[in-house]
Amino acid sequence: MRKTKLGEFEELVLLTVVSLQQDAYGVEIKRTLEKRMKTKLSVGSIQSALKRMEEKGFLTSEFGEATLRRGGKRKRIYSATTYAHRVLSEMKQIRSSLWDSIGKLTLHLKFQ
Amino acid sequence: MKPDELQPPKWPVRLLRFLLKGKYIEEIEGDMEETFYATAEEESPAAAKRMYYRELLRLLRPILLRNFKSSFHNNSIAMFKNYLAIAWRNLLKKKGYSALNIFGLALGISCCILIFMYVDYERSFDRYHEKGDRIYRVIHGSTEQTEDTYWVWNNAPIGQALKDNFPEIDKVVQFSGRADLLLTNGDITHQEEGVFFMDSTVFDVFSWKLLKGNPKTALSAPFSIVLTESTVKKYFGNEDPLGKSLKGSNSAGRAEGGEYQVTGVMEDVPPNSHFRFNALLSMSTFRKSRPEIFNEWGYADFYTYFLANDQFNLANFESKLPDFIKRVRKDPESKYKIIAEPLSKMYLGTVAQRQPGETGSIANLYIFSVIGLFVLTIAMVNFMNLSTARSMERSKEVGVRKSIGAARSHLVFQFLGESFVIVGFSMLMAVIFVALALPSMNNITGRPMELMHFVTPLNIALLIAVTILIGLIAGSYPSFVLSSFNPVSVLKRSIITNKTGVFLRKGLVVFQFSLSIALIASTIVVAMQMSHILNKQLGFDKEQMLILDYNYDEDVNRKREVLKNELEKLPEVSSVAFSRSVPGSYFPNAWTEIISPEGQMKGMAQPIFQVGMDFINHYDLKLAAGRSYSRDFPSDTIGGLVINEAAARQYGYSNPADIVGKKYSQWGREGEIIGVVKDFNYISLHNTIEPLTLPLEPFACRYVSVKVKSADMTAAIEDVRKVWSQLAPHRPFLYSFLDDDFDRQYQKDFNFRSLFSIFSSLAILIACLGLFGLATYTAELRTKEIGIRKVLGASVNSIVGLLSKEFIILIFVAIIIATPAAWYAMDRWLEGFAYRMTIQFWVFVLAGLAAVLIAALTISFQAIKAARGNPVNSLRSE
Repeated sequence: MRKTKLGEFEELVLLTVVSLQQDAYGVEIKRTLEKRMKTKLSVGSIQSALKRMEEKGFLTSEFGEATLRRGGKRKRIYSATTYAHRVLSEMKQIRSSLWDSIGKLTLHLKFQ
Repeated sequence: MKPDELQPPKWPVRLLRFLLKGKYIEEIEGDMEETFYATAEEESPAAAKRMYYRELLRLLRPILLRNFKSSFHNNSIAMFKNYLAIAWRNLLKKKGYSALNIFGLALGISCCILIFMYVDYERSFDRYHEKGDRIYRVIHGSTEQTEDTYWVWNNAPIGQALKDNFPEIDKVVQFSGRADLLLTNGDITHQEEGVFFMDSTVFDVFSWKLLKGNPKTALSAPFSIVLTESTVKKYFGNEDPLGKSLKGSNSAGRAEGGEYQVTGVMEDVPPNSHFRFNALLSMSTFRKSRPEIFNEWGYADFYTYFLANDQFNLANFESKLPDFIKRVRKDPESKYKIIAEPLSKMYLGTVAQRQPGETGSIANLYIFSVIGLFVLTIAMVNFMNLSTARSMERSKEVGVRKSIGAARSHLVFQFLGESFVIVGFSMLMAVIFVALALPSMNNITGRPMELMHFVTPLNIALLIAVTILIGLIAGSYPSFVLSSFNPVSVLKRSIITNKTGVFLRKGLVVFQFSLSIALIASTIVVAMQMSHILNKQLGFDKEQMLILDYNYDEDVNRKREVLKNELEKLPEVSSVAFSRSVPGSYFPNAWTEIISPEGQMKGMAQPIFQVGMDFINHYDLKLAAGRSYSRDFPSDTIGGLVINEAAARQYGYSNPADIVGKKYSQWGREGEIIGVVKDFNYISLHNTIEPLTLPLEPFACRYVSVKVKSADMTAAIEDVRKVWSQLAPHRPFLYSFLDDDFDRQYQKDFNFRSLFSIFSSLAILIACLGLFGLATYTAELRTKEIGIRKVLGASVNSIVGLLSKEFIILIFVAIIIATPAAWYAMDRWLEGFAYRMTIQFWVFVLAGLAAVLIAALTISFQAIKAARGNPVNSLRSE
């Protein structure tokens, strides 16, 4: 694993970006995450996570189309870098291997 | 909901744009807006707004925010340092100019500060009363009077009547006229001048603190006395006076003498009060001895103040007054009229006469404020002049700076900065000047002003604001003109003929000298008017007149013949007379009826001087008709009356001889007019001579006037004192000089004259400083020209003339401008005097000559120096 850290919330945002693909812009990310996490999130928290990950090289972004609902302001569409994909799958692997080891452990505990 | 109807709140959006990093603004603002509209649809517009604020707060994260620290370039700080360094070097390089600039400005500013302090102090009168906005007093007049002549001092029953008829009046406090009582504790006897008989409600209305005793009851019982702290010191030293007693002499017409119980000690009345006193006697003392006066509408000896409550409305109150007066006077024809005067107007801006204390003059405050502004303007003009004049010298600097890349705004900033540095220095120096000058200022104005009182946050803020303002104004012209130079022409050394600069400079010199000349002329007029007043023949003998005050003492009045004989035996004394008043002192008014030429009794209130037998001869009053009082006519004591010409005229007799023999009645006396004296100025020359009656009432007398014929006044006083202590040992020997007493009426005018001449001289001094600097500079600029002229054979005289001519012309222009302005202003000022000098034209000639002379002296010093210089020195280096 690389030295660059990916926080827990950042990881969730990153995954959302990946899953939303072409729709991955601030408000949409927020809406999706709110639905999944069943909690309210602020624009600020999403935005700061996005900006931080952009600085760390997990995300790239470009301006998308402007809509009336945004008062004529353009969206910024985020997409994950290959580096981000690699880190994400590494994380997933680490996690699942850990989960696997828990499975054995619980079995072991049952016998005791 | 359509998005164009509902919009995110304005200022948070602006704040957001200000706070966030530029590159994020569009995206985040869009996100916020989208969320906003979504919330508005799902919930409500109000909820959306609340959401917007909440979200805005949550956006405050370091990663999203603009980096404020780095938005200033470090380069600017270096520039600032450079500006300061250059400013400092310029100050040092031209020490003479800098000193002139700073000193002149400091003088101007300190004048302004002193005047501000004085005006502020005068305006602070009576402001310390906590209920001050609800305190009013009654001033009395008549519906018949043509001019507004109101009296504060009047009858007693109005107080109770107001209290009974107006629920909006909470408390009424009345006090008597000033009683000059003799107070005694054992060996210590003083004549107390500031004593009033005062209602017990005084401490409910005014905020004077009673340090000992009960404020509700201290002045309830008869023969109670409340002393101020300094009076306590005078009589009791450090003892506790409470419960002890002071022997008080009788107060004529108010109360008999007696033992006064000290029932309270109060703090001294602050000096910024429109009336002050040393002790208060209970009004019940007065009421007990003369109860009838308190129901007598025609007897004037009271001041009536009241405390209104929240329901009080001045306009509404005054509209009810005419009916109220008719009701309480039980006379629908009553001509009596009262109005209410708020506390804030009592010191400055009262219309009434017969004040319980001194009043200020708002006109004088305006005059001083204007002078203060003049002085400051002159100082600022100096600064602008010297800077514009020096602008040539610095044009190279400007050229270099511009070619390196300085923007014009930078240069404006730099020069303004320099002017701030100078003004800042001046301000510091001015504060020091003020601290040094304050004792003398207090001496002149008689006001105990303290520097520390004026150090308030507001005043400090004001001072800083003024510093900035002066810096801006004084530095504006140099900074804008200098910064506009074209670097190419400046560096090519092509001559910049800055025509506007020269014109402005000349204009400013003219302006400055117009102000100075106007001030010189006004100073001369003020001084002349004052000496006109002091030297005017008043119509009575006021020189070498010693006045002894025994305050109506009955023993002395009984011994008057003996006293007169003994005193007249002294070789130094030529004559002696008794009277109730002397010119310039207090006198009452009495209702006086005299038969008019038409044959009816005609009544009017007349000033009254009760006199002894010899008063008229003693004061050398000239008779216009009839005769004076005489011991040959015993009936004079009962029924004779002498009046002055003005009184005769007022009753309708243009020829004074016609009124002699006519019947009169006054204060219970009846008889015939026996004589008419020529008018004499028994009050200050601010007023014309008013009618006067001089009834012969030896027992109503208060003063002995002693005419001293020897030149040795000290010895004469000593001899008079010896006679006095033999015949009236119980009375302290209180003496004064009539001319001093009379001139004391002009104290305010003297103060005015002193302040006026001081500030005018300062203004002229500052203007000269500026002229000196300017002359020095011009001479320097023309060094080469002078050198060449000298080589070609010009004389020193012609060069001095050349250098001076231009300034002298400006001064003449200033004279032409200043003369009509000063004439008009002084004419207005003189309107305040009934006896005024006529302004002679030579005053302005003199003022102009003085200005020319001063300017010529200032300039010639430099001009001669330049003209005498060796041309070799000035032409050698090129």
